[in-house]
Amino acid sequence: MITGFLFRALDRKAILVALALMAIALLVPLSNLYLPASHPLHVPTHILSLSGKYLTYALLALALDLVWGYCGILSLGHGAFFALGGYAMGMYLMRQIGTRGVYGNPVLPDFMVFLNWKELPWYWYGFDQFWFAALMVVAVPGALAFVFGWFAFRSRVSGVYLSIITQALTYALLLAFFRNEMGFGGNNGLTDFKDILGYSVQARETRAALFAATAIALALAFVICSGIVNSRYGKVLVCVRDAESRTRFIGYRVEHIKLFAFVVSAMMAGIAGALYVPQVGIINPGEFAPANSIEVVIWTAVGGRGTLVGPIIGAIAVNGGKSYFTAAFPEFWLFALGALFVATTLFLPKGIVGLVSGGVARLRTGREADRIEETLQPEAGAAE
Amino acid sequence: MRLIILLSGLLALILAATMPVSADEAELRAVIAKFSEAKKFSQTEAVIEELQALGDTDAVPTLNALSDGLLQVRESDGAVFIIKGDGETVDLLDPLTREAAGTAPGADLRKVKVKNSIRRLIADVVSGLTLRARNSAVRLEAAETMFSRPDPAMIATLDGVIAEETDAGVKTAFMQARAAAVLQSDLPEADKLDAIALMRDRGGRDVLPILTAIGASTQSDAIRAASREAIASIEESMMFWDAGQNILYGVSLGSVLLLAAIGLAITFGVMGVINMAHGEMVMLGAYTTFVVQEFIRTSAPWAFDYSLAIALPLAFCVSGAAGLVMERGIIRFLYGRPLETLLATWGVSLILQQAVRTIFGPTNREVGNPSWMSGSFEVGELLITTNRLWIVVFSGVVFAILLLVLKRTRFGLQMRAVTQNRPMASSMGIATPWVDAFTFALGSGIAGIAGVALSQIDNVSPNLGQGYIIDSFMVVVFGGVGNLWGTLVGAMTLGIANKFLEPYAGAVLAKIFILVLIILFIQKRPRGLFALKGRSVEA
Amino acid sequence: MNERLTRSLLYLDGVSVSFDGFKAINELSLTVEPGEMRAIIGPNGAGKTTMMDIITGKTRPDTGTVLFEGSVDLTKHDEAAIAQLGIGRKFQKPTVFESHTVEDNLELALKRDHGIVATLFNSTSADQKTRIEEILDTIRLTHRRAERAADLSHGQKQWLEIGMLLAQDPKLLLVDEPVAGMTDAETVETAKLLRGIAGEKAVIVVEHDMTFIRDLDVKVTVLAEGSVLAEGSLDHVSADERVIESYLGR
Repeated sequence: MITGFLFRALDRKAILVALALMAIALLVPLSNLYLPASHPLHVPTHILSLSGKYLTYALLALALDLVWGYCGILSLGHGAFFALGGYAMGMYLMRQIGTRGVYGNPVLPDFMVFLNWKELPWYWYGFDQFWFAALMVVAVPGALAFVFGWFAFRSRVSGVYLSIITQALTYALLLAFFRNEMGFGGNNGLTDFKDILGYSVQARETRAALFAATAIALALAFVICSGIVNSRYGKVLVCVRDAESRTRFIGYRVEHIKLFAFVVSAMMAGIAGALYVPQVGIINPGEFAPANSIEVVIWTAVGGRGTLVGPIIGAIAVNGGKSYFTAAFPEFWLFALGALFVATTLFLPKGIVGLVSGGVARLRTGREADRIEETLQPEAGAAE
Repeated sequence: MRLIILLSGLLALILAATMPVSADEAELRAVIAKFSEAKKFSQTEAVIEELQALGDTDAVPTLNALSDGLLQVRESDGAVFIIKGDGETVDLLDPLTREAAGTAPGADLRKVKVKNSIRRLIADVVSGLTLRARNSAVRLEAAETMFSRPDPAMIATLDGVIAEETDAGVKTAFMQARAAAVLQSDLPEADKLDAIALMRDRGGRDVLPILTAIGASTQSDAIRAASREAIASIEESMMFWDAGQNILYGVSLGSVLLLAAIGLAITFGVMGVINMAHGEMVMLGAYTTFVVQEFIRTSAPWAFDYSLAIALPLAFCVSGAAGLVMERGIIRFLYGRPLETLLATWGVSLILQQAVRTIFGPTNREVGNPSWMSGSFEVGELLITTNRLWIVVFSGVVFAILLLVLKRTRFGLQMRAVTQNRPMASSMGIATPWVDAFTFALGSGIAGIAGVALSQIDNVSPNLGQGYIIDSFMVVVFGGVGNLWGTLVGAMTLGIANKFLEPYAGAVLAKIFILVLIILFIQKRPRGLFALKGRSVEA
Repeated sequence: MNERLTRSLLYLDGVSVSFDGFKAINELSLTVEPGEMRAIIGPNGAGKTTMMDIITGKTRPDTGTVLFEGSVDLTKHDEAAIAQLGIGRKFQKPTVFESHTVEDNLELALKRDHGIVATLFNSTSADQKTRIEEILDTIRLTHRRAERAADLSHGQKQWLEIGMLLAQDPKLLLVDEPVAGMTDAETVETAKLLRGIAGEKAVIVVEHDMTFIRDLDVKVTVLAEGSVLAEGSLDHVSADERVIESYLGR
């Protein structure tokens, strides 16, 4: 039955995208490491790091798209899962510092010594092991998503109400992680990392390897998502998005359907966060800010929700734009981002992908756009 | 005729009672003039005692100035003044009335010399004088001062005034001041026990350290037991007052939340539009206040106390206009698509924030409190700050007006009609698009008004709105969508709950706790505290 | 009473529900036997839709008994569980999954394991494919099977929804105004279709169209103000004084 899943997952488009990502995973690091700096195809290290960051964002956007684009759950708290995954990885990296910290304490991270803590809190146990941290990267966001989703979906909290409470969730976590007493470095978060799996995080080779790992993770996630959305489960997800009541009345447990997608999505977001932290070298409570989570939504919307390629394109395009604008016209970035929100919702409901693929059909009949709007409304008049 | 006589008699009585009755002013001046001849400390002391004998509180400023070294003699004519300022020439003030009496070069002035023993004497005389002051408020204040700085040496003086005192309230205050002094003295145990009993009856936070100190230092078991028991009893009543204070803080926070959320209750609650730029509407109101105050500072400083009254309608118009433009330009294309509305309005909020940042700069701007909003006062053990009180009053007024607009005006009727049945309202000839637009403008305008109030207690910065948006949504969702009373109850409940949790958990944890509580609450009642029920709303 | 209970497929007794003081259903009692077709008529606000909401688990009654197959208490189950027990429902406004094809709509409605694992990994068997073909044929949509459901006409959507109900293979079908917005020819065809289904499965039809009810030629229950006003053949109930009053008297 797994083969059936994989068979459905690897349709032509998925194979293309996965191959492209694998090629990127291989070629970009190679060009960075082995081509001379003067070579026209050489990828400088700062571009490599920046692209690595974008790819983690793409993974996060893909995760959000699974719940929003396919299931109609607009989560304004996906940044929280991303940050939790990042913190799990950050804790591993903190423990790897060992005696090289400012205070030289072999067990306690610097900030704990600074706070006069004598012992490692219990929830930091095990994070000296990579496998444990890797497990927590998916387990913690997954568990939070499970508990939160269990209650929310069972009580049929949906639409904007759900969006608002996911926002409250990430806001509450933001406030919590700012507290020194939480034991996650408070305001400053976790930083000054040295090693990952014994290799220096600063080394060019490590950076190249992290980039490759991110691209491969994205490719894998893409294939898994493709399998999910092409299965009957994926079709049911769309049913839930378009007509929740109807789905219930033909015998699907909508709350389980939603919960599964939510948890899988949260885990993917956690992995994205875990890949993000070693590449940028810091994780702090700012990642929990509600504004960050909403930004992820706009990447997905710009690229094209309800498609798997869309969020990847959107995340890379918007963040590329952000990097350019914040360097060239720092004053204007927020204007541009704000305008992007407005313009996308008003004029590009299907995003870049929809614009490209639906362009011809749209020219043929004006009905296409209307229909998209109709189907994107969650449960519009599904029940009388 | 007799009535007139009676009235004028009454008037005279009232005047007599309110006018400061002083000993002969000339007599006072004569004594004060003697300071110019007092070259030795003993002579100075003699003059002070003479003033004490006159028993007039009008001498108190002179004595205080003497103690501070500000009472000086003009060498040229031997006249006595209180001086103000320093340098080449100083201002001279009349020692009694403290009215300006010209200037003099510093070289022409000689200080009436004092030393510490004289300062102590002055302090005693001043408190003795004020304790016997004719105005009971002055006496009461003197008693409070003596209570907070108990001095066993004053017991005798206090005994004297207690015997003379006729005003019951002042007498009690004297007794309490005496009790405080007794506890510091080496009087016998029985006196101290009486004093503790008195302290216990007085209660209040400032008594606790006195009682704790006596309990810790005494040798006597009886005193220790009595003080411990008194502390327990006072703490019990303090808990009651603390609860009252928490409710007060809670109501104050609640009304801030109410102000921030009430506009949202209209746009989200009544129209179902998720306006993520609501916080920025509040921010626009606050910046409008800033601009109005800047204008007043530069061109009409005398009008500063009216700045808020001027800012209110302007803020309503500015934010309302912004809302109107937003509704016409963006939101009306997105009706029925709440998630898209959420995203588009978030975009607007980013644009507004950045616009304000570009125009006014990223830092906090100074918005002043008018004089009538500054200060604080106490009721029992409750501390009330005036600006908070005004905000409570103000949010109540805004709430009431809004309720009236919704229930009693034609616009309110049309608004409710459109909310309940759009096609029917439309066929009845209501211009539904304009009702939508003006409803949204109303909600935004009220956010602007909230901004004027919040500028008085919060930093006016481009991020002002962001701080309120999540809280506002929580209030509206908690209270129940589409119900103004729900918003009121929601805001007050959250405000009070927050303030009650704060002492135990700290401000941040309390907030987290409240957020988690609301998240759980929404699971239980997805449509809030006062939600409508039935087939129609579920569809 | 007991005998009525054990023979019945659906058994409602003394069911009441109110919304904010308004009694939508008031002491409603009704039994439907296996394979029976029943038409329910009644003026607006008589509680027809609320009754369906109660049977399908969307609304919980305040009081009363709702039993399926003589033993299953429907008030204890939610919509999904009730659907899996074998009660299918067609909404008043046709609701199909518009972004899926006609064929996918039927495939998704097929009676089988709806759990996460099964939906993720299982493929559709040959038997199930045959069943889809049969239904496509029954609802006359074979030629449009690959089109998106959104592109169907109103009447075709109604039929697709009935087809989805058939795919669920329920023991009881609740059909809310199946011919609303249909042409006369379509209405006649629909009546034929429903009569074909009845016998094998029990069907409850709520409808305003009296010609259609006459075409069905089955026992009629008249609801008014949340309770049963009259029951019997169409001719019998239309002669009933109270029915005439409740329809025409106001």
